[in-house]
Amino acid sequence: MIDERIFQQFSEIGRDLYEHQMISSHGGNLSIRLGDRIIIKRRGAMLGRLRPHDLIETGIDKNDSGVALASTELLAHRTIYQQTPALSICHCHPRTAIALSLSRDEIVPIDNEASYLLKKIPVIWEEFASGTPEMANKLAAALQQYKIVFLRGHGSFAIGQTLDEAFFWSSTLEEACEIILKAKIINEPFIEYRGMSNAYNKW
Amino acid sequence: MNGWAGKVLDIDLTAGTSRTYPLDEKLAHLFLGGRGLGARMLWDEVGPSVDPLAPENVLIFTNGPLTATGYQTSNRFSVSTKSPLTGTVLDANSGGFWGMQFKKAGYDALIVRGKAEKPVYIELKPDGATINDAAHLWGKRVRETTQLLGQNNNKRNVLCIGPAGENLSRIAAIMNDGERALARGGPGAVMGSKHLKAIVVEGKQRPDIVDAERFKFLLYETRKMLKASPLTSQALPEFGTSVVMNLLNNIGALPTRNYQASVFDQAEAISGEALTDKYLVKNASCWACPIGCTRISKTDKVEGEGPEFETTWAFGASCGIDDLAAIIEANSICNDLGFDTISAGATIACAMELTEKGQLDSDLRFGRADLLASTLEDMGQRRGLGAELADGSLRLATRYGAPELSMSVKSLEMPAYDPRGMQGQGLLYATSNRGACHMRGNMLGLEVLGLPKLIDRFQVQGKSGYVILHQNTAAAIDSLVICKFTNMGVSEEYFARALTSVTGVPYATGDLIKVGERTYNLERLYNIREGFTRADDTLPPRLLNEAVAEGPSKGWVSKLEPMLNEYYRARGWDQNGVPQAKKLAELQLTDLVEAVR
Repeated sequence: MIDERIFQQFSEIGRDLYEHQMISSHGGNLSIRLGDRIIIKRRGAMLGRLRPHDLIETGIDKNDSGVALASTELLAHRTIYQQTPALSICHCHPRTAIALSLSRDEIVPIDNEASYLLKKIPVIWEEFASGTPEMANKLAAALQQYKIVFLRGHGSFAIGQTLDEAFFWSSTLEEACEIILKAKIINEPFIEYRGMSNAYNKW
Repeated sequence: MNGWAGKVLDIDLTAGTSRTYPLDEKLAHLFLGGRGLGARMLWDEVGPSVDPLAPENVLIFTNGPLTATGYQTSNRFSVSTKSPLTGTVLDANSGGFWGMQFKKAGYDALIVRGKAEKPVYIELKPDGATINDAAHLWGKRVRETTQLLGQNNNKRNVLCIGPAGENLSRIAAIMNDGERALARGGPGAVMGSKHLKAIVVEGKQRPDIVDAERFKFLLYETRKMLKASPLTSQALPEFGTSVVMNLLNNIGALPTRNYQASVFDQAEAISGEALTDKYLVKNASCWACPIGCTRISKTDKVEGEGPEFETTWAFGASCGIDDLAAIIEANSICNDLGFDTISAGATIACAMELTEKGQLDSDLRFGRADLLASTLEDMGQRRGLGAELADGSLRLATRYGAPELSMSVKSLEMPAYDPRGMQGQGLLYATSNRGACHMRGNMLGLEVLGLPKLIDRFQVQGKSGYVILHQNTAAAIDSLVICKFTNMGVSEEYFARALTSVTGVPYATGDLIKVGERTYNLERLYNIREGFTRADDTLPPRLLNEAVAEGPSKGWVSKLEPMLNEYYRARGWDQNGVPQAKKLAELQLTDLVEAVR
């Protein structure tokens, strides 16, 4: 039985992801780790309109019947929990970040908040970007070093102690990408205001 | 071995000899230093047949790979031993200057074994150690001893015990730099049992840093984050650790009168705000610390460092006392006698309840601020009832037929957070390897302060994951060794990157947390080898059975049992709390598993 408080966290953050256009109607997923168990969105459920039966519990290391209902990204979530200290994962499809990921190997924010919080976000890729062990392992390896990582042309995976925290990194990334895009549109010379900013790409 | 000095000094006080040998590089990479390395060495040195106060027990002083590098708060050091209070594995760490100097003397660890025939002190320099006569120091208090041995913060630093340690009080601390304490679990008594009065260090070797450019960037970013956080840049500097007094009281999680209530009506009078308004002379900082939470306080009778929040709570709300001057004076006496202030205050609170319940014939009653100073002096000299109080609350309460009135876990007195109003904190206390402790991870961040984000403090399902992560993180930080307050402004990701840049050994965030998990499991194995079981992972009956009567936590007890089951499963332990072989293999602890079969 999943605690009502846990459902409420999923429901509120799922709604926010949809309303902020960080996912399509059925896209993205959220999960939390409860020891050797994972609670994850049901496959095909809408994060913006979650109902209690849309949360599925299954094992992190072992399959049970819950796996038949879980999100298509279950493998990635499990691998991340197996290889990092994450307690929560937020996966979403932020549109400006997806656009920038098509031409960059890393996203280095230029705004103050994301510079403080994220420094840089690596962009990784695999030919089969969903549901493969190769992708899951590559993702988990990157998340050992960074709290948010981007899959080229696909979306972000962020980890945190709470869903709230993982969502925070995700929305900070999209905000940073919108600012990069707007600065490019304005196309005026950049006046550096940050100390040691040339070191951010070495983070 | 960049980051590590690469040397261990081993002193045998019985034989009066010392030897130096290289630090095992593999152990250094697996356990880093501080608490982790100390626990690993203790595993080999002190088995279950050893009485903690016998010469066969050892004191293992350790620093870590970040110590003395200049990374923010890289001043701390640790001591590991078998606790005379709890019988468990013990580590305690402290800030100030001594740890930095110890590293600069060129050692990662100092093992002290045996027992000197007469009182001695050790003088430690880069070219070796001498064992010196301490007859003129034995019996002297901490401040005088520190002064006589030539304390000079940037050149020569003194660590010593006071009368409490000499008289083998099981709640005696080891003091360093005059006012700082390796406090919990009675390490001062172990030092006293060895007739070791003090250790003086002088150092001059700065640690090497592999990637100085990257390290400089990390220093810059860490400083920026610590300044950005109001907690580390404003709250702690302005009000000290007691800034949380009112916060805890407001949510009904401030244990009052020996945990009989969780709201103290006079909390405002003993808060960080009151301390700053009325008694603060100035702030002070440990070496390389930009936070500066140390208080220099002054009353009509005393002037000195402190009191910290836990101390203020222990002599304040816990004893039903709202006289802040008396609390500051009690803290000063504890520092000079060499006591753990939490255990001292909580034991007096226990005596007060025993008296009020008719179990003990004494004058100690809640609110009797006038008796604090004389009671502590009696404890330090083991006079009258003080002799019984000097061994902590559980031995006292058991002697008077009411062990349930000792608010302790594994004999260690609980600190200032009521588990009935912070469900995760109860699980944390119950499963803490050295007994109830808020420094083995603390749910204050998640359940009260919103660090990194606020969670529901009454939620039970899922709490074990948070507790485990914070216990592992705390063990990793204690192995680096740096101050946990840094973690209030920057995440452990920064520490892993700093560690990598200093040592050249790649540590991802997960690797660092894994060091903590390895340490936690090793400590667990140690306690199992000592005979501890699931039955010891519990809380005082009051917290499990007596609902809070008034305030914001009204109606709540600690719902420990379901959290404990979830915790064991999440830890990879069986339902008796024994780490399973698969988990030990994952943590590279397989070589230890036979010892607990």
